Amino acid sequence: MREPLISARGVTVRFGGLIAVNGVDLDVHPGELVGVIGPNGAGKTTFFHALSGVLAPTEGRLLVAGEDLTGRAANEFANHGVARTFQTPRVFRDMSAGDNVRFGLAFAGRKRRHARDAFDNPAAILELLGLGNAAGVPAGGLTPARQRLLEIGMALATRPRVLLLDEVAAGLTHAEVDATAQLIRRVRDELGLAVIWIEHAVRVLMNYVERVAVLHQGEKIADGDPRKVAKDPAVVEAYLGEELPA
Amino acid sequence: MSTDLRRILVLLVAASTALATLPWLASDFMLSLALTCLLYVGLAVSWSMFSGATNYLSLATSAFFGIGAYVTAWGFESLPYAVVVPLGGLVAAAFAALVGAAVLHLRGAYFAVLTFGLGELVRHAITYAEKTYAKTVGRVIADPPESIDVYLTVLLLAFLAVAVCATVRASRFGLALAGIGADEERAQTLGVNTRRTKILAFALAAFFAGALGAAMAVRWTYIEPASVFNPFIGFQTVLIAMIGGAQTLIGPIASAVIFSVMTEMLRLQFPYAYLITLGVLLILLVLYLPGGMASLFRRAWKPNA
Repeated sequence: MREPLISARGVTVRFGGLIAVNGVDLDVHPGELVGVIGPNGAGKTTFFHALSGVLAPTEGRLLVAGEDLTGRAANEFANHGVARTFQTPRVFRDMSAGDNVRFGLAFAGRKRRHARDAFDNPAAILELLGLGNAAGVPAGGLTPARQRLLEIGMALATRPRVLLLDEVAAGLTHAEVDATAQLIRRVRDELGLAVIWIEHAVRVLMNYVERVAVLHQGEKIADGDPRKVAKDPAVVEAYLGEELPA
Repeated sequence: MSTDLRRILVLLVAASTALATLPWLASDFMLSLALTCLLYVGLAVSWSMFSGATNYLSLATSAFFGIGAYVTAWGFESLPYAVVVPLGGLVAAAFAALVGAAVLHLRGAYFAVLTFGLGELVRHAITYAEKTYAKTVGRVIADPPESIDVYLTVLLLAFLAVAVCATVRASRFGLALAGIGADEERAQTLGVNTRRTKILAFALAAFFAGALGAAMAVRWTYIEPASVFNPFIGFQTVLIAMIGGAQTLIGPIASAVIFSVMTEMLRLQFPYAYLITLGVLLILLVLYLPGGMASLFRRAWKPNA
């Protein structure tokens, strides 16, 4: 089997006495689109913080394309091709949408020039996201939904090989979610990315990913084909009361 | 180089060349006033380059200024003025890099308080060292340079501070600093080495404060820690930059000139009136114009923005 692009091995994150993420293993290969679901407080976002270097894990290792980056700063992760979005959009509000994308190109994207040149200019990235007409608009003035799209654009500007999406579909209409999912698949196929997509709304995610991992109270309780995972007794119990799509 | 930056630099060279003729045209009083203006232009612009862009409120200007002054106090007998001044800047920058590496992970009030404490720490350390080892509380600068030389040196430093700040603002380094100011963690996830960027900018700003301290030290003839580590120099720098608009280039420059002139005019007649004016202005600005005076003009230029 090919080498995973990103590999979490026994990743544990503790905040004092609280264990937010507990010994999670996850390997994602090039071209894979993996969903991560879990009830509130399952540790999804904390796990992402660890995967993107924002938060160093208390225990465990993180490998990007075989290189151990455990404990390195977030910019090192970005320079090695790990890009992420944030659940609450964290665009540079006073900069224009174009400059927000330019920012990623100027730093991690510049270091990773060798990677590919599919999206080497802000206009192409904004066009892809349907934000072509917003290039000159201050990012803070965009609707939350469009700020979420811009977050994806900022991440793509770093020329990633691993794309971490934190609830990009939250607050979108059904049609918008569908369009975003198509977009993510298209980018993944064109660039051969490994994509990990967190979503709180299970139903949304299950339709679009080929593999899903379930976090519950910081632990990974299932990982595999969405249809099988949905029937897993442990998963059903974790989502007590919530109906899962078969 | 962008056309904007080139235009700024051309303008800057022209203004500095014109100001360089002042010693032969103006009275002693005017020259001394111009010197104060230039000192605060250099301090406020270099402070803004780091603190204005990153929102790390540094109160360490006094510490860097005092370190520069002490480099002159210690080295002036054996080294020429032209060597002592850049040396003062380099020592202050090295000190800033060292301290920055240790404290630049702190933000907000913690960083401000820590940098303020830094000035006090250096002041007391030097006082102690001088008393214990040199058996002195102050040092006399014998045979200081001509006031024309001091003026031209400070002019050169102010020119360099503005030129460097303008260049930084137009560069990737400046973009990284702006990103740190807007959302440091986000900037980091986009590949900015935030730690290195902050330390570099902090040290660069300290270089100018230190060099200006070293250049100005010869004006006092008698140097003691209490006068060169005067926290007022640091506060005044911060106030000037914030009142002018620390996110802009022109704001701190204009504000430095206005307030230096105001100080000189008011200080003799009403020693405290100028401080009251400054205080009231600061309160009003924080309340109604958080972007500083410069945002007033920007608003006037772009009514729809």
